[in-house]
Amino acid sequence: MGEGVLYYIPLGGTAALAAATALIASIGFLRTRDFRFDALASAASETVLAFLAAGIVSGCSVVHSAAGKWWTWDARMTAALICWLLFATCLMLRQAVEEPSRRAAFAAVWTIFACLDVPLVVATAAWWKPGPTLPIDWTWPRFGLLAIMAIAGGLFTAARVRRPEPSHPERAG
Amino acid sequence: MGFLRQAGVVAAKDLRAELRTKEAINSSLAFALVILLMFSFAFDPLADTTREISGGLLWIVFAFAGTLVLNRSFTRELPNDCLDGLIAAPVSGAALFLGKACASFLLVLGVQLVSLPVFGIFYNVPWTRQFPELLLVLVLGTWGLTVVGTISSALTVNIRLRELMLPMLIYPILFPALLGAMQLTAVLVAGNPIGPGDFGWLKMMVGFDAIYTAVSLALVETVLVS
Repeated sequence: MGEGVLYYIPLGGTAALAAATALIASIGFLRTRDFRFDALASAASETVLAFLAAGIVSGCSVVHSAAGKWWTWDARMTAALICWLLFATCLMLRQAVEEPSRRAAFAAVWTIFACLDVPLVVATAAWWKPGPTLPIDWTWPRFGLLAIMAIAGGLFTAARVRRPEPSHPERAG
Repeated sequence: MGFLRQAGVVAAKDLRAELRTKEAINSSLAFALVILLMFSFAFDPLADTTREISGGLLWIVFAFAGTLVLNRSFTRELPNDCLDGLIAAPVSGAALFLGKACASFLLVLGVQLVSLPVFGIFYNVPWTRQFPELLLVLVLGTWGLTVVGTISSALTVNIRLRELMLPMLIYPILFPALLGAMQLTAVLVAGNPIGPGDFGWLKMMVGFDAIYTAVSLALVETVLVS
């Protein structure tokens, strides 16, 4: 149980940092129309998905070792799942739009919508399921692990940032 | 022409077009009735436990049926390039959005007000006992559904798989508003008033509606001109 508790908090924290990055990059794109912001927002959204998925799996292992089942509609697990779906829809929207400038603008708008929803989802899940929830106890080792995870998240984001593709010359003919 | 008058003209145009063809509202009503019928296959519709989950059932029906109306909001403008004409018209994107959202809101609310008595009869739920409060919850929940659905309709109007994308986009975003509406509706159709413990849900719905209306009005121009 201790292992799971140790991991899901920093994984969730890193996903939150990546979500904040995606929000700032999306606002940056809408203000400047600089495609580097769009590339950063896309990579940060992928980081949110990857780290939140790992956090949910880690949370499932905590639930399983404590309750003998893989999922409980615990407030934090529910909120994490909905947030994962929110960012999954951002990436689905990206895949559905072909024209690069339209894709970037639409994804930026939807990322802002998704990020605004995160605090509402967390509050709603807590009201919906006020009972016992996964433990969160912030102590120094966890801050240390969060720092390591955040660096890993930053590296993951940097690796996923693609060079902006303003046009497709091979399709022109 | 003032902003609200522009929005009113767009809303009246959309309502007139819909009432002439009745495409969205007929399919939405039929869909709502079919889902209500299918729920009765899944469990005993007259059991007491059904009343406890009736708020959730109703809002699942409203969300599914509402999507059909919302999908048509901007898709209606595709034939004859009407959307380009609307964007080129001297009407701000925000007024266009607000007008379309108001028209969709009235249509979805109409579908709900027809579905509600049918639900009450089929499931033996005395939904009229707290009707003014229930109407308030319907209005707040439907406005949240409509405002997020209308901006999603604008986003998906020109993309692949738009009929699939719109529900995929809006349901996760709508989690706070739909959950609040489900909780309050369950309380009200059971005949109980909204108590002090339920005000948090009401505030959540008001906050959700205010935030997404403001952000949609601010960002819709970006969506329409992209």
